[in-house]
Amino acid sequence: MLASTLLQPENDPPEGGDVLLEMHKETRSGASSDLSDNSSIQATQTSVDEYVQLQLRIYRTALLVSVFAVLLTGVFCGLHFSISLLVGAISGLLYLRLLARSVGRLGETTKSVGKAQLVVPVLLVLAASKLPQLDLIPSLLGFLLYKPSLILQLLLES
Amino acid sequence: MDSITTAASVVAAGLAVGLGAIGPGIGQGSAAQGAVEGIARQPEAEGKIRGTLLLSFAFMESLTIYGLVVALVLLFANPFAG
Repeated sequence: MLASTLLQPENDPPEGGDVLLEMHKETRSGASSDLSDNSSIQATQTSVDEYVQLQLRIYRTALLVSVFAVLLTGVFCGLHFSISLLVGAISGLLYLRLLARSVGRLGETTKSVGKAQLVVPVLLVLAASKLPQLDLIPSLLGFLLYKPSLILQLLLES
Repeated sequence: MDSITTAASVVAAGLAVGLGAIGPGIGQGSAAQGAVEGIARQPEAEGKIRGTLLLSFAFMESLTIYGLVVALVLLFANPFAG
């Protein structure tokens, strides 16, 4: 029996060889799928890092624009106007942060974008109408100071 | 503030928020749908898709905010109250 298996021609391998060959093929395909999974996970992670970097760029630009505008209005329009603009700018940054968090959660935990960020302008207008230290128009202008950074990012990306 | 001005302000505030939120609502819904489909098809482009979605949402939602601000001004800091 041993001799018969040894004398078997190479192009007609024993049945066990087929099983081994299949197992080898499966192992190789499993290894390659593991490799492709790892590379796709790495690509996804790089992409998520890109999103975080974009957020940081927007915050930084918005902060720079806000500081510049507050200093400029402090010099030319007075402290009262400047403080209202500062409060508006801070609430604009907070709004942008909450919006980015809602967008970050989309598709992972929720299927729709949250509306929590809309509380920020509501509270800002209520505070500006109730508190004598704040003016309505400068607060709203300050709130909209995040827009230039968004437009800048769009221009940089296109 | 007389009663007609009050009533008109309240109606206008409701219309400002309600009508102002229709367009951005539809736009945000379709944008979110497209983004989720895109992420499911191409997970490696997730960051780019989310970044574009963030920028477009910020622009779309500002329209809602304008309506909201007009409504709140009419309700709490009405210039016609004099």
